[in-house]
Amino acid sequence: MIRQQKQAALAGLLLGTLFFTSSSWGIVNITDNLELEGFVNAKNVVRATNFSNGDLIMQRNTAQLEGKYYFLRDSTAFGRFSTGRLEEATLTVIGRSVYDSVYDLRDSYDGLEGKSESKIREVFVDMVLPPFTLRLGRQQVVWGETDNFRALDVINPLDLSWHWSQEPWEDIRIPLWMARGIVDIGKIGPFEETFVEAVWVPTDFESNKVDTDPRYPWAFYGAGLPKVADSVVIGDQLYDLDVTVRDLSPSRKLRNGQGGFRFKGIWGDIDFSLNYYYGFSSSPGVKVRSDLVEIDGSTLHTVVETVNPRTHVVGLTANYSEERFTQSVIRLEATVTKGIPISIEPGAPLGIDPEQDQFDTVSQSVIMLGLDRPTWIRPLNKLRTFFISTQFFWRRYLDYSSHYQGVSSVVPATIGGVTVPDRFMSLNNNTPDRDEFVITFAASTSYGRAGRWKPTFVFAYDPRSTGAFNKLSLEYLWSKHLIFNVQQNLYWRASGDEQGPWSIGDMFGRGDNRRNETVFNITFQF
Amino acid sequence: MMTEHSRLKINLSWRNCPLYIHASVLAVIGLCISISSYASTDQSYKTLRQWIDSHPSVADTPTPGQHLTEKDREKYLEPLIPQPAWEYYIFAGMDMEIGATGHYPPPTGWDKKPISEYKLDERGVLVGFTGGRIPFPEIKQDDPQAAQKVTWNMLWRPGTDNYDMPMVTWLRSENGKLDRQMEFVGVSATYARGDHSLVPGYEEVKSKSIMEFRSPRDMAGTKSMTITYVDHYKENSGWLYVPAQRKPRRTMSSERTGETMGMDMIGEDALGFSGKLYENNWTYLGKRSVLATINVRDNPEFGGPHLWVPHKARWEVRESHVVLIEPKADNHPYSYRIVFIDAETNWTHWMFAFDREDDQLLRMNQHFLKYSESYASEMAQQAPFMKQDFSKNVGHRVFVHLGETDINAKKPHATMTHCYVKKRNFSPARAKQFYSLRNMTSGRR
Repeated sequence: MIRQQKQAALAGLLLGTLFFTSSSWGIVNITDNLELEGFVNAKNVVRATNFSNGDLIMQRNTAQLEGKYYFLRDSTAFGRFSTGRLEEATLTVIGRSVYDSVYDLRDSYDGLEGKSESKIREVFVDMVLPPFTLRLGRQQVVWGETDNFRALDVINPLDLSWHWSQEPWEDIRIPLWMARGIVDIGKIGPFEETFVEAVWVPTDFESNKVDTDPRYPWAFYGAGLPKVADSVVIGDQLYDLDVTVRDLSPSRKLRNGQGGFRFKGIWGDIDFSLNYYYGFSSSPGVKVRSDLVEIDGSTLHTVVETVNPRTHVVGLTANYSEERFTQSVIRLEATVTKGIPISIEPGAPLGIDPEQDQFDTVSQSVIMLGLDRPTWIRPLNKLRTFFISTQFFWRRYLDYSSHYQGVSSVVPATIGGVTVPDRFMSLNNNTPDRDEFVITFAASTSYGRAGRWKPTFVFAYDPRSTGAFNKLSLEYLWSKHLIFNVQQNLYWRASGDEQGPWSIGDMFGRGDNRRNETVFNITFQF
Repeated sequence: MMTEHSRLKINLSWRNCPLYIHASVLAVIGLCISISSYASTDQSYKTLRQWIDSHPSVADTPTPGQHLTEKDREKYLEPLIPQPAWEYYIFAGMDMEIGATGHYPPPTGWDKKPISEYKLDERGVLVGFTGGRIPFPEIKQDDPQAAQKVTWNMLWRPGTDNYDMPMVTWLRSENGKLDRQMEFVGVSATYARGDHSLVPGYEEVKSKSIMEFRSPRDMAGTKSMTITYVDHYKENSGWLYVPAQRKPRRTMSSERTGETMGMDMIGEDALGFSGKLYENNWTYLGKRSVLATINVRDNPEFGGPHLWVPHKARWEVRESHVVLIEPKADNHPYSYRIVFIDAETNWTHWMFAFDREDDQLLRMNQHFLKYSESYASEMAQQAPFMKQDFSKNVGHRVFVHLGETDINAKKPHATMTHCYVKKRNFSPARAKQFYSLRNMTSGRR
């Protein structure tokens, strides 16, 4: 009891300090060496599949608190101890608590585990020992030039379970325990501003988090029905399906370490980097153990193993600020990744699937060409430019086979063309294209005398599947503490029913499962 | 009596702010206050040119120690405050303390002859100059390139960089309504120092600066690094680190004509003019005495009907070069820009920019300066979020920039900034580490 009272008093003191410290805000100085910042946010998401029958699917309430403690300044730790060449050090802690109240509000979500968490997401120590800097701890590291696309930005996995990739990636990256060291070099030969950066993740590994239980609003269940496959048809016989999933993801051992390095600098006016990362695929592959298939009466027992293969990512990034003709920053990212898991259709030739486990790894190349441009559109805004950012992605299977399969779907079980009621089976007739493309476009500006209205427009389009995505967002800065945001997400496709790889309108814009949604956000920040 | 111009202003104000149409009596009263303040002056380019040509007599200069109020409007204020600023800077209850016009010697060595060979090329661009001095100590009024030379002196003035500078910015509508407030910290170093670079091997760099936001929270940790070059034809290099993206992003420098962050200035407006000289036509309009907040005691409080301008601050009468700048580009928002640059210290006091559509005032700024040696007897205030040892400013013999007022006359709206400057000498090794692309790969988070 006394302990609880103490905790309450401490919490009260902390909140009181935050809310009533008039001298600083945004980043609040608790002492000369301790800073706090944070926010609370309420996000309400209404899904309106066809602009009717709005369905509240999320009421996510988030509190985030971030602290930074400067325990070493000017080569003196804690104001007492000389640290020689170690000039500065700080401790950063970022904690987040989440409670999605929709799971308590909606009867249809009864039986589902609510989406909530309360954890220290990031905790790291920064040390400056010129020319060396080191960040040790649970953290996020982002490489590359692309926005919202995985090519070089593969060091941290993503949590796609609660709102797919619709959130800022800072909030859905899964921080890992790692060391990140940078040696500043400066000028060397024809290169300027150079440095070498190394990242080492000794034992920490996590896969991307994806919900597959179709009862969750943002579950991923392919292009089929929001059901679980419970049947299999062999000949004209329907069997119950019993799948045992063995998780063979890397254990937390040193031999399963991941790491990489990059050399970054400026050559002429081109800002470039050369990158290499030795890791594991964040997306698991599935090996089907056909040797363990058993039929027991009316049930087919099968075993699948989820594996995260070793990957090698080699990449190049470059950007160039072209000031004369296009007045744009041109961005480039090119990677070759070896070790990406792929499914192979059952019964593929031994040359394609020698293990007959319907699994292989492939190599892919990615080229991204992007353009950032502050642009005057004076009929729409006389005071401020629009920031326009476009990206073109081309992803190619370097070792391609027509036996490769994409995402499977759940369909009604049928025997001899007759549908069996309430029985579902898995079907995969999706063959990925060797070359995959997607184009993105984003534009944002601000209105109002103090620029407090901030509209954003986002468009993504896959020219092969014709799947598309639009986001229309309007943010209003009510005060220095309070921000309102309303957002409309639209998934659609121009034609056909081909399934693309990008999880946009071709996947989330289908019939009754269309995931159009309206998002209402309120944020109170310190 | 309401002039035709003031009626136009009111109409624009109503159109721009439709919410006011249905607003309360209180808002109407507020608008009436606006009416009275707008009814006073003509803010056209033509009028400012006439004002510049009408020199006040020496006998009409206020005496040191005198406090000017609205009653001194005709005798002192209108002759010494550029006319487009009257409606903001002359107001009921104003208190403008007059200090003796001071002499502010530059740092030791700045008045010596330059070391390197340099020249102005045919486009008025300074070529071959590497700093450490004022490039043109003497300005001859009949020199056809006098305007460019005054501007080059301003761009290479002593005290431009080498500081830690916490800042607070307030964005206010009419009647003092606070729309936004921001806090950030700028750190800057001059590399080009005449006979050497701060960091050997970086002789092409003029200066490097890093600016990081502290508040509001959604911007906290956002930081930018800018490299300016000795070669004026080379565009600045810039990077922006956004915590939400956790990576730096290259920025483009050649777009300098849009407002950003809701503030009431464009990139080119910094310190009167921060654009490219070759993109403009230049005319030297002579010298003119103006009132200037050149050596304020402290970051001035803001007054006036909208809380936009310095109040109870110390002003001096300063002789200033007047430079007319005409952008060459047809799509530039300004038809004319007129800058008042101190004839002794080369710091900008006033800037007025006129709308290309009607030659009426679009934006203006006015700067608050403090001489470093005055810190020996008068300490300026500390930033609300960090404390610094200002006594270290003494001995630099330069001005520090304590802030500015930026007004967009057509919104109408203003951005006021307080800077809390501590001079700082970076060691070459520390500068090399700090102002590096490496430092932009991560941030607070």
